[in-house]
Amino acid sequence: MAGTGTAHLRSASDALLRVENLVVEFPVGRTGLKVNAVSGISLDVLRGETLGLVGESGCGKSTTGRAIMQLPRPTSGSVMFEGKELTSMGGDTMREARTRMQMIFQDPISSLNPRRKVRDIVMEPLTIWGRGSKSQRNDQVDRVLDEVGIDPQRAAESQPHQFSGGQCQRISIARSLVLDPSMIICDEPVSALDVSVQAQVLNLLEDLKQRYGLTLVFIAHDLAVVKNISDRVAVMYLGKICEVAGSDELYRAPAHHYTNVLLSSIPVPDPSVAVKRHPIEGEPPSPVFPPSGCRFNTRCPAAQERCSAEEPLLREIGDGHFVACHYPVHGGDAPVTVRSSSN
Amino acid sequence: MTLTIESPPVADPASAPDTPARTQRRRPRIGMWFGITWLGGLVFCIVFASVLPFIRLYDTKIRVGGKAGRYNLGPGWTAWLGTDSSSHDVFARCIYGARVTLTVGVLSTVIGLVVGGLLGIASGYFQGWTDRVGSIITDSLLALPPLLLALLLVYRMDDLKDVYSWLGWLDRQWEITLTLGILAIAPFARIARAQTIALRDREFVLAARSLGAKSGRVIAREILPNLIPAMLTVAVTGLGILVAAEGALAFLGLGVERPLTWGKMISDGQRDLARAWWATIFPCLFLFLTVISFNLIGDQLARRFDIREAAI
Amino acid sequence: MSNVSQAASRDITDPLLELTDVKTHFRTARGLVRAVDGVTFNLDRGKALGIVGESGSGKTILSRSIMGLLPPKGAVRSGSIKFEGREIGNLGRKQMRHIWGKEMAMIFQDPMTSLNPLMKIGQQIAEPLKIHLGMDKTSAMATAEKLLQDVRIPEAHRRLAQYPHELSGGMRQRVMIAIALACGPTALFADEPTTALDVTVQAQILDLLNEQRKDRNMSLILVTHDLGVVAGHTDDIAVMYGGQLVEMAPTRVLFANMKMPYTEALMQSIPKIEDPSHTRLTAIGGRPPDLVHPPKGCRFAPRCPYVREKCENEMPQLQQSDLPGHFFRCWYPVGSPEYFESKERNAAKAMASAAPTEVPVSIGEAR
Repeated sequence: MAGTGTAHLRSASDALLRVENLVVEFPVGRTGLKVNAVSGISLDVLRGETLGLVGESGCGKSTTGRAIMQLPRPTSGSVMFEGKELTSMGGDTMREARTRMQMIFQDPISSLNPRRKVRDIVMEPLTIWGRGSKSQRNDQVDRVLDEVGIDPQRAAESQPHQFSGGQCQRISIARSLVLDPSMIICDEPVSALDVSVQAQVLNLLEDLKQRYGLTLVFIAHDLAVVKNISDRVAVMYLGKICEVAGSDELYRAPAHHYTNVLLSSIPVPDPSVAVKRHPIEGEPPSPVFPPSGCRFNTRCPAAQERCSAEEPLLREIGDGHFVACHYPVHGGDAPVTVRSSSN
Repeated sequence: MTLTIESPPVADPASAPDTPARTQRRRPRIGMWFGITWLGGLVFCIVFASVLPFIRLYDTKIRVGGKAGRYNLGPGWTAWLGTDSSSHDVFARCIYGARVTLTVGVLSTVIGLVVGGLLGIASGYFQGWTDRVGSIITDSLLALPPLLLALLLVYRMDDLKDVYSWLGWLDRQWEITLTLGILAIAPFARIARAQTIALRDREFVLAARSLGAKSGRVIAREILPNLIPAMLTVAVTGLGILVAAEGALAFLGLGVERPLTWGKMISDGQRDLARAWWATIFPCLFLFLTVISFNLIGDQLARRFDIREAAI
Repeated sequence: MSNVSQAASRDITDPLLELTDVKTHFRTARGLVRAVDGVTFNLDRGKALGIVGESGSGKTILSRSIMGLLPPKGAVRSGSIKFEGREIGNLGRKQMRHIWGKEMAMIFQDPMTSLNPLMKIGQQIAEPLKIHLGMDKTSAMATAEKLLQDVRIPEAHRRLAQYPHELSGGMRQRVMIAIALACGPTALFADEPTTALDVTVQAQILDLLNEQRKDRNMSLILVTHDLGVVAGHTDDIAVMYGGQLVEMAPTRVLFANMKMPYTEALMQSIPKIEDPSHTRLTAIGGRPPDLVHPPKGCRFAPRCPYVREKCENEMPQLQQSDLPGHFFRCWYPVGSPEYFESKERNAAKAMASAAPTEVPVSIGEAR
C-alpha cells in the first residue's frame, strides 16, 4: 500500500508509543460510502521525543491523534502505549490508561467548560481519580497553575471567558499536566493564537517537556512551528504518511514531492529570502474517493504512470529519513534557500 | 506611497462624549417585567387566597336583595368581575381556578422536562441504538395531533382506573397533568438531544473523556450545566403552552370540576355570552395574560442566554 | 499630505486614498474603546499595502472604517478619509452603496459565510454587474464566465450553475475574488483572505490577488496577522499596534531596517523555517493594551524590552527615518545608542538569571 509500510519504525522496546497500520474510517451518512480519514499509517515515538505530524486540513492528522487516545476507537490497527495494547483494552482499563496520555486542543476557549471555575477545571482530573487528600490536590493544582503562569487565586474565582485565548491554552496545558502523564498529544495547540502569544505557548511547552520529561505528539499545519518544536516530523497527505525524517533533515532535503510543495508554499516573513517555488494546481481530492496508487499522484508535478497503479511503500533513503515515493526529489532541491544579498 | 507625519493628537474627537454607554442598547424589557408582575401577583393571590380579605371563598354566593340568582351582578364594586351562573364571585373563582391551572402546568412541565430531558440527553450522548429508540418515541409522540392524543389518554386512564383499584389516586387533575406531561416529552427531548449533540463534540467534553471521566460524570458535570439555560427557557415558554392546553381540554369537557378551572369557566359561560359577557371574558383574560406572561419571560430568557432553537 | 483637494483637478499620480487622523471609537459598557486611534497615511493607485497586526490591533476596524462597514450603533468616527479626492469618511451606508463594488470591493476570511448558499455562483457574480453596470442578463453571464476564467477556475461555464457548497474552500475564495473584481474596483480590501485556507492553496490565492492587481492597476489592501503573507506580496507594509500605526515602510526597507521594537519583537517571535529545530523563540511577554485605558506613553511600553522612563510617560509620534517612505513611532528606535545599551543590559540580566538552568516561563499575562 502506498504511504504505508513500517520500515521507519524503530525497535519496539525503545518506543513509548508505537502505532501500526492504523485505519480510521467514518461512514458518510447512510450512503454506504466511507471517509478514509486515516488509511494504514504507522509511527512511533521514543520516550522524551517530540514527533511532529504535519499536513493540510483533511489529511487525517487530528484523527490520528484522537485514534491514539481511542476517542473514538480506530477501525483497525494497533496502538501500543507504554508496552500495552490500547485497542483491545476494555472500558475501565482504558480509562486508566488514558490518564498516562493527555490531549490539548486547538480552540482554547472551547476546550474549557464555560460554566465552571477555572480552578475546578484543572482540579477535575484529580477529583475523577480521587488522587491524594484535599490539601494535596489543592497544592498540586496551585503548583501546576503557577508553572503555566496562571495566578491560582484568580483561577479560583474566574470562569474561562474571563481569560484571553493564550491564557485559556495555558489552563488547558495545566489540566493536562495534573495527572503527571508521560505523553501529551497537542492538536494544533497554537494555531488559534496570535503570533506573540504563540511563541509564549511554544516556549512553555518546551520548558514543561524538559521539566516533566514529557513525550509530545505535536499536530499542526504550520510547518515552521512544527519544525521548531519537533525532533522528528511525519508529513501526512490524505490519510497516509508521505515522509518521515528528523526535522532538520526533512526541511533541508525533502524527498517527497508533496513535502517539497508544502515547504515552498510557506510564506517566508522576509522578502530577501529566495524561495524556489514548486506551485501546484488544485486542492486535495476527497477522502471518500481517494486516488489509486500514490494518493498524491493527481497533483504531483513528477507523477508517472506507475504512480497511479502502484502504491509506494515507505523506504529509507538516508539516515532515519524515509519516503513513500517511487521517484523522490533529488537532493539539493530544497525550496527554502539562501538569503539573497541584493536588497 | 507617500506618508505624512501625523498631526498632533487632538484631545478627543469632538463628537465623542467620553461617557460610558452601552454598545447595544438593551431592548426594553417592559414585557418581562409585566410578565413577572402578573405571575407574581397571581401566585401571591393563590397562596394567600383564604386569608386575603378581598378574595371571597370559593363557595361564597353573592346574594342581591337576599337571594342568589344567575349572573345577578355585573362587574362593579361588590363583585369586581361580576358573578357567574350560580352567583359566585368570578374574581374569586378565577383565582381558585388559577391554582389548579398553574399546578397542572408546572407539574406537567416538570414531567416533560425530566423525562424528555433525560431521553434527549441519552439519545444525543450515546447515539447508536439509544438514539434510534429515542427518536422513535419522540417521532411517534409528535406524529399524532396533540389534542386527539390528549383526549385518548384521558379516556384511556379513566378506563384503567375502573379496572385497577390501585389507581384510585388518579383523579381528573392527575390525569390531565400526566397527559400534558406526556405531550411535553417530545419537544423537550428534541431540544435536549440537539443541544447535547452540539455539546458532545466540543473539546471540553472530549477533554473530560480523555481524563478518564465516566459517561455519567461527563453528562452530569460537563453537559448538564450547559443545557440548563436552554432547557429553562424552553420550560418557561412551554409552561405557557401547557396552561393554554389545559384550558383547551377543560373547554372540551375534560376539565377539573372542583375547583373550576379557567377553561371550564369559559366553556360554561360562553352559552350566555350575550347576557353576561363578564363570566366568559374575564377567565379568558386571565388565561391570555398568564400565557403571554410566560411567553414574554421566555423570550427574554432566550435573548439573555442567546438561544435560537427555542422553537417548540 | 497631498496638496490637491479638489476632485476636479485630480490626476493619475495623486494618491487614491488619503487618511488623515482617522479615529474609530466604540462606546461600550466598559467605556470608550479606542479601536483605531489616529491613523494617517496615503495609498497610491495600483499599489499593494499590507496592514499587519495582532488581534485587537485595530487592523480590521481600520479597513472597515475606510469601507464604511462599521456596525451602526456605538461607533464614533472622526478624521478624514478621502477616496479619489472625495471625502467619504462621513458618508452613510446608502451613499456608500454607490462606491461599494464599483470602486471599492472587499473579500473576507471565510468564503463560505460570505457567499449566499442558496444562489448559484453565476447569479452571485452577475448580480453586481446588473446593478452597478446596468448589464442585461446575457452579457452579465458572459462577463461572469470571463471573470471565473480570470480567477483560474477550471470549467468556468459549468461552475456558473453550481452552488457554493459544491466548491472547495479555495474555489470559493476564488469566486469571492471574482465577485469583488466584477465591477472593476480601483481598490480591493482583503481581510485575512487566506487564513481559512491550506498553505498550498494560500499561495495560489495570494499569487492570484497580486496578478489581478497588476492587470487591473488596482490598489490592494491586504489585512493580515501573518508577516509572511505580506512579505512577498505587498509594496508597503503598515504595522499596527493598540489602534495606532507604529511603523510603515516599503516592504524591503521594513524587513531589512525595522525601527520599531514591536516590529522587531513580532519578527523574532515567529518560528522561522530556516532556523534549526528547537531554536528558542523570543516571546513578547504580556498582552496587547486595553484600548479603554491605553497606556499614557507609548502603547507598546509595558511589553517593550527596551523601555525607558520617557516611553512610559510621553507618547511618541510617527517620525521619518533616513530612508524614504519609512516612518516609525518610537523614542529609542532599533539601532539607536539607547537601544544597544538596553539590549546589553537585558543580555546581562538574562545571563545572571539563566545560571541555574531554569528558563523563565514566559511572563504571565495579567488582566
